Amino acid sequence: MGQFLQQLVNGVSIGATYAVVALGFGLVFSVMRVINLAHPDFFMLGTYLAFVVGGPVLAATAGLPPIVPLVVVGLVAALGTAAVGLTVERLVFRPLRGTNVLIPFIATAGVSIFLENSAQVIFGPDPVGISAILPTVVYTVGGVTFTNTQLLVAVVAIAILALVSYYVRGTRWGMATRAVAERSLIAASCGVDIDRVAQLTVAVSAATAAIGGVAVGLLLGSTTPTIGLTFGAKSFVCMLVAGNRHIEGIMVVGLALGITEALVAGYVSSSYRDAISYGLLIAVLVLRPRGLFGSYE
Amino acid sequence: MDLFLSATWQAILIEAGYGAIIATGLYFSNSAGALSVAHAAFAGMGGYLAAVLTTNMGWPLGPALVAGVALGFVSGSFLALITLRMDPLVSSLTTLAFGAAITVVAFNTPYIGGAQSFSGIPPLTNFWEVYLALALVLFAAWRFDKSRLGMAAQACRANEIAASAMGVPVGRVKVEVFAIGAGVAALGGAFRAHFILVQSANDLGFWVSVNYLIFWVFGGSYSFWGPAAGALILTVVPEFLRFSDAERFVIYGLLLTAFVIVRPQGLVGRWPTGVAPGGSKLGALIGKSRSARDHLRGPGRR
Repeated sequence: MGQFLQQLVNGVSIGATYAVVALGFGLVFSVMRVINLAHPDFFMLGTYLAFVVGGPVLAATAGLPPIVPLVVVGLVAALGTAAVGLTVERLVFRPLRGTNVLIPFIATAGVSIFLENSAQVIFGPDPVGISAILPTVVYTVGGVTFTNTQLLVAVVAIAILALVSYYVRGTRWGMATRAVAERSLIAASCGVDIDRVAQLTVAVSAATAAIGGVAVGLLLGSTTPTIGLTFGAKSFVCMLVAGNRHIEGIMVVGLALGITEALVAGYVSSSYRDAISYGLLIAVLVLRPRGLFGSYE
Repeated sequence: MDLFLSATWQAILIEAGYGAIIATGLYFSNSAGALSVAHAAFAGMGGYLAAVLTTNMGWPLGPALVAGVALGFVSGSFLALITLRMDPLVSSLTTLAFGAAITVVAFNTPYIGGAQSFSGIPPLTNFWEVYLALALVLFAAWRFDKSRLGMAAQACRANEIAASAMGVPVGRVKVEVFAIGAGVAALGGAFRAHFILVQSANDLGFWVSVNYLIFWVFGGSYSFWGPAAGALILTVVPEFLRFSDAERFVIYGLLLTAFVIVRPQGLVGRWPTGVAPGGSKLGALIGKSRSARDHLRGPGRR
C-alpha cells in the first residue's frame, strides 16, 4: 500500500505537467486547426530559460523568500517563450491559414527542427544543470515521501489549468476564442478580431508550456535539447485521448496517464511504460474517434 | 562496384536512394486521400524482417527483400482496414499511434535486439541495386498513375462520395493502394537495414515518419516523381552545408519552413496538398479548408 501511494504521488506531478503541455496543444488546435509540432520546443525553451536566468536571479534575490526568484524565473520564461510563440504565429501560422492541416504540420516540424538544433548549437547536446531555486524539503506523510518541488509542480499545474479555464469561460477574449474555435467565419462576421485571438491563443499556449518547462526543469534538476520530444509526444497523446474541447478532460487524462505510467513503471517494468499511452490512444481512436470528451474538428 | 564517385558520396546517394523508395511508398499509400504517419514503421518492419532472415537464417538478399515487402503489404492492409471508416484526421492520428505502438513492441522484443538494436547485419546493399529498385518503383508509380487503380485512387481522393456513386469500390481501392505503399516502404527499409547494418527501434518512430512526410510534401505530394525528388534533394542538399550536424539542421529547419510557406503545393505540385483543384477561396479567408466533400456533408456537427 505504501509503495502504491508513493507511485501515485510520483505520477501526479508528472501527469499534471503532461496536462499543462497538452493544454497548449489543444488550444492552438481548437482555434487554428494547427497541430503545432513546435509546441514541445516551447516547453524545452522554458527549461533553458530557467537554466539561463536561474543562477543570476537567485544571486540577485539572495536573502528574499524563495517565492521571489521563483516568480521572476517563471515570468521571464513565460514572456520570453510567448515572444517566440508570437513570432512563429506571425511568420508561420498566419500565412498558412486556410491550407490543409498537413501544411502547417510540416511547417511547424521545420520550426521544431530549427529550435531544437539551435538549442543544441547554443547550449551543447549534453544535459545542463538547473540551479535549485527552492531549497529541497522532504515531507513524509503516512509513509509517502515527496519533495516541496513535486508539491509545487502539481499546485502550479492545477493553478494554470484553472486560470486558463477561467480565461476561456469567463472573460471577453476567452469567449471570442471559443467563438473562433466553434465557427471562425461567424465569429469574424460578429466583429471578432481573428488575428488578435490567434495571437492571444499562441501566446497563452507558449507561456503555459514554458511554465510547465520551468516546473519540470526544477523537478529533474537538468535539461537537454531533446527534453521536448518525450514530454511533447506524451502530452500530444494526452490531448488526443481527451479530445481538444474540455480543459478539465485534458487535466483528468493527463493525471490518469501520469499515475498509470508511474504504477506500471513501479510494478511491471519501466520499458512498458511508453506502451500505455499509445495503446490507450489506439483504443480511444477506434472506440471513440472524437476523443473521450469530444471534438477534434 | 568501383564507381566514379567517392565513398562518401556513394554513401550519401545510397541513403538518398532508399529514402526516395520510402517516399514513393508514401505516394502510393496517400494517393487515395489517406495521410500516413506510419511509414517509418513499415520501413522498419521490412528492415527488421529482412535483416533477421539474412543474418540469422542465412538467406540471400533477394528473397529477404521479398519477405520484407510482403510483411509491409500485410501490415499495411491491416492498418488500412482499421482506418477505413475514420475521417482523414482521425485516421492519420491512428497511423501515428500504430507507428508508435510498433516502436514500443520493437523496443521490447529481445529476439530482434530490443533497446540494443539488431546489429551484425551483413552489408548486402549496393548502389546499383538500390537505384535499380528505385527505377522500378518509379516506373510502377508512373504506370500506376495511368492505371484503373490509380485513377480510382485519385477519384477517392477528390471526392469519395462521388467516386462511390460512379461505381468505384472505395474501400477496396483505399486498402489496396495503402498496402502497396506500405510494401514499397518496407522495400526501402530492407535496403536501409543492409546498408547502415544496424536496425534500431528508434528508426520506426514518429519523427522519422515525419521526415518521410517532409520528403513527400517537399517534392509535391500527388505527382509520381515528386516525393522521390524531394527525398533526393533533401538528403543531398544538407551535405553541401558544411557545418556541424546541429548547425546544418538549424538551417534545414529554416529552409523547410520557408519553403512550405512559399510553395505549399510542393516543388512540382500543382495544388496544395490534400485539396482538390478548385478548393474554396472562402475557406482560405477564414482559416478553414472546406473541400467539396464538406459541402456535401452540409452544415451541422462535423
